[in-house]
Amino acid sequence: MNDELFSPTIRDQAPPAKRPWRPESIVYPAFFGGPLAAATLGVLNGRRLAVPTQQLLLIAGAGLVGFGARLTVALLVESNSAVRLAGTVCGILVWLVVLAFQRRPFRVAQLRGVDAKSLVVPGLLTAIGLGLFEALILALVR
Amino acid sequence: MTSPQPVLHRAQALLATGRAGQALTELATLPANEVTGSWAMQLRCAALSQLDRWAEVGDAARAGLAANGPDPDLLLWLGRAEHEAGRDQAAERALLDGLALAPNDADLLCSYADLCAANGQLDKAGKLVELAAAREPHAPVVYATRIQIAHARGDDREAQRISREFVGVHPDNPVAHALLGGTSAARGHIDTAYEGFRQAAAARPTEQVFAESALELRVARHPLMLPLRPVLRFGALKTWLVAVAGILLLRAIGLPVLAGLLGFAWLIFCVYSWVVPPLVRKRVRRGWS
Repeated sequence: MNDELFSPTIRDQAPPAKRPWRPESIVYPAFFGGPLAAATLGVLNGRRLAVPTQQLLLIAGAGLVGFGARLTVALLVESNSAVRLAGTVCGILVWLVVLAFQRRPFRVAQLRGVDAKSLVVPGLLTAIGLGLFEALILALVR
Repeated sequence: MTSPQPVLHRAQALLATGRAGQALTELATLPANEVTGSWAMQLRCAALSQLDRWAEVGDAARAGLAANGPDPDLLLWLGRAEHEAGRDQAAERALLDGLALAPNDADLLCSYADLCAANGQLDKAGKLVELAAAREPHAPVVYATRIQIAHARGDDREAQRISREFVGVHPDNPVAHALLGGTSAARGHIDTAYEGFRQAAAARPTEQVFAESALELRVARHPLMLPLRPVLRFGALKTWLVAVAGILLLRAIGLPVLAGLLGFAWLIFCVYSWVVPPLVRKRVRRGWS
């Protein structure tokens, strides 16, 4: 009855080439940087965690949709703070997509003894870089 | 000639209190023909594993298997050692060989479950630990493995619930307290978490991990970390949603200035939550060592 449970299913895996970031930490650059920052870090981290390509594409897609939503808000609404708020909200939503796909693989990696890498510097750079990039595009289309 | 039995009992007692080095010294007094006995080798493996000398655990298990033939307990140690060395396929072979001899052994089932979980096979791991739980529902290893798997699934609430049960059934077990500490920390119950690790570290002062975690929780309890309690307690997402909802609400009821102020305060708070924890950690660590 337990034949299936007691048959081998494990293949040796190479340890990850780069240590992953804690997916929960991406919330900060997502808040400050917006949807593109969240998606970029999500895709980079997904590669470190070796999540399936389909999920990476979904994260990237969520980032583009999030930015599109922000763009729409910018075209429809006058107020600057609404556009800023839309960036934050869309960033957090994209982060939720990242978290949904990466929480489990990250915890499994931890079980394998993989430690998280600090996101402070790459997070800051991505948040500032892509935050400014989004702001620039928004300024151009308005 | 020394009789092996008292030596082995003494070594076992030393291991139970976490004095692995002394247990090894005790085992070294065994006569040459007793050293490779199955029980002596198991104790040696247990002592070496407590000292984190996993390569030697593997060697000892192999030597024991060569001397005694197939033995589920030694295969268990071989499996664990191979897993520690990152050779998971070899680990699986050893554990399955052990399970072929002892299909109901809770330790073997749990080790195999751990191995599957570490390879992302959480469903199989869950089924294996269920089998183990059906045999020995209150064995510490069964509790610990169930907690690990719940945590890996992302089910923090369930992990904490099992930890509480574990502590209730085994109030003297340091691992139970440490796991309650860890699972409480994951849910932001900082005080319970600190208490768990403090008790674990007090019960087994030789275990570096317990002391490390107690220290980490001391950081979380630092006065400068007090503003971050809501985030730790309710999770980042809920806290953020409340803040964003608050800002939107103030704006909707026609108080844009207040909304702006709240937004600004929230921004400061976020920067604070990003910058302050590493600084506090450095400070507490300096005071600690």
